[in-house]
Amino acid sequence: MFKIENATGGYGKTTIIRNISMEINQGEIVALLGRNGVGKSTLMKYITGLIPAAGGQVLIEGKPAPTAPAKRAKMGLGYVPQGRFVFPRMTVIENIAVAAAANGHDAKQAIDRSLEDFPILVQKANDLAGGLSGGQQQILALARALATQPQVLLLDEPTEGVQPSIIDEMSGILKRINKELGIAIVIAEQNLDFCLSIAERAYIMEKGSIRIEIDREKLRADKHLQQELLGV
Amino acid sequence: MELDYLMTVILSSLSSASILLIATIGLAVVYGLMGVINLAHGEFLMVGAYSALTATQIGIPYPLAIPFAIMVTMLIGAIVECLIIRKLYGRIFDTMLATWGLGMVFNQGAVLLFGTVSPGIGMPQYSLTIGQYSLAIYPLIMIAVAILMLAFVYFLMTKTVYGMKARASIQAPQMAQAIGIESSNVNTLTFAIGCGLAGFAGAILLPIIPATPSMGLFFAVKGFLTVVVAGPVALTGSAVTALGLGGGSSITASFLTSVVGDVFFFLMTALLLWLYPLGISSKWRRKL
Repeated sequence: MFKIENATGGYGKTTIIRNISMEINQGEIVALLGRNGVGKSTLMKYITGLIPAAGGQVLIEGKPAPTAPAKRAKMGLGYVPQGRFVFPRMTVIENIAVAAAANGHDAKQAIDRSLEDFPILVQKANDLAGGLSGGQQQILALARALATQPQVLLLDEPTEGVQPSIIDEMSGILKRINKELGIAIVIAEQNLDFCLSIAERAYIMEKGSIRIEIDREKLRADKHLQQELLGV
Repeated sequence: MELDYLMTVILSSLSSASILLIATIGLAVVYGLMGVINLAHGEFLMVGAYSALTATQIGIPYPLAIPFAIMVTMLIGAIVECLIIRKLYGRIFDTMLATWGLGMVFNQGAVLLFGTVSPGIGMPQYSLTIGQYSLAIYPLIMIAVAILMLAFVYFLMTKTVYGMKARASIQAPQMAQAIGIESSNVNTLTFAIGCGLAGFAGAILLPIIPATPSMGLFFAVKGFLTVVVAGPVALTGSAVTALGLGGGSSITASFLTSVVGDVFFFLMTALLLWLYPLGISSKWRRKL
């Protein structure tokens, strides 16, 4: 349902990712693994349309995705960036409301749903998002992406700088939304354990390309591969 | 009697601060929500003043001339955003240069269209008497106008979907797009609103400040400094700055001379920017 064909791109004249192809099926959880600097975040930005494509394309339900990131979001692409990028001078509920409203969904319903799904946000509902802790911001960024009612959710290093208890909570939430809403999830991560706990298969990147596609059990068993490509 | 004098000084200073604020809000909106310093803001104010003046000259009553001025300036603002500003986002100095040039074009355009001298429109001749002093009512009404204008913009930017989109677009531009906000449409509207606020200012202040082609310059400098001193929390920051700097310089001027008042304004600006290089509101935890 969601496909990337020969993705090539980078920043300015520097090409970072080359000829990357991958496919994500309906309701699937896929990990995108690799060491620091292999191009995971760049690929994520390529998929969202935040960096221009030097080559290749993104297909959503068989149709080429439009160039503008906003139009891709409306076609069902949700994005939680590395570093979260919540809107700092907006309240928690405004962060959620604006995401819902921008896609023509009812803001009030989205807020109610988010606060139900993420009780950790209830107490902070009317606080400015910039004042939340890293873990809370991560949850908010996730809630914001879900408020757009995506079909595919892209998560870029969701566990970075987040305390273990919240990581556990997050993996529970991701499994649940994946199951209940059938949302496909792509997670770019360095945290192998987190990925093994939720993803069914993984693409492993090296130097801007996909080195190998592997399912969870094989990856879990292959310590040599883990060592070589992920340094763990 | 001394108390009466003090009252009049306070009221007229509040009124000058309000006039500065009325003239500045549009600039603060455009800077605060788009990161663009519109150096043609003063000229949009001038366009608003001439639109209102022209409307009254062809027989439209003054209260209706004000919305007419807002429409004209919003329309011009939207066109300017699409043709010029849009291409210059993130290049703050280039936008300043471009809008400065645009201001000159407007200025000279007004000279060609209207000449350098224009008739004013009469100020409503009511006044308020405090002891032996008498103050014209219209400038005092500007205090209420400034408060209403602040309330309107605050409501627009914090309680409406458009306002949320506009704030999201300036706070994390890429992220705003990635959650489906068409930031270019939002920006066009924001710039048009900023220009419309300038147009409103030009029209509402017309009885106090007659329309002349170069009237923009007077507001451009002080308005620009107010917005820069205010910093990232543009609206509240500008209100506080206009009250402090505008009111302060007006009080100074009434006890000494208007030149000393201006010196106060610029010295305080320099001092505040030295103390708060990112603006007085850089550490405030507020929305707008």
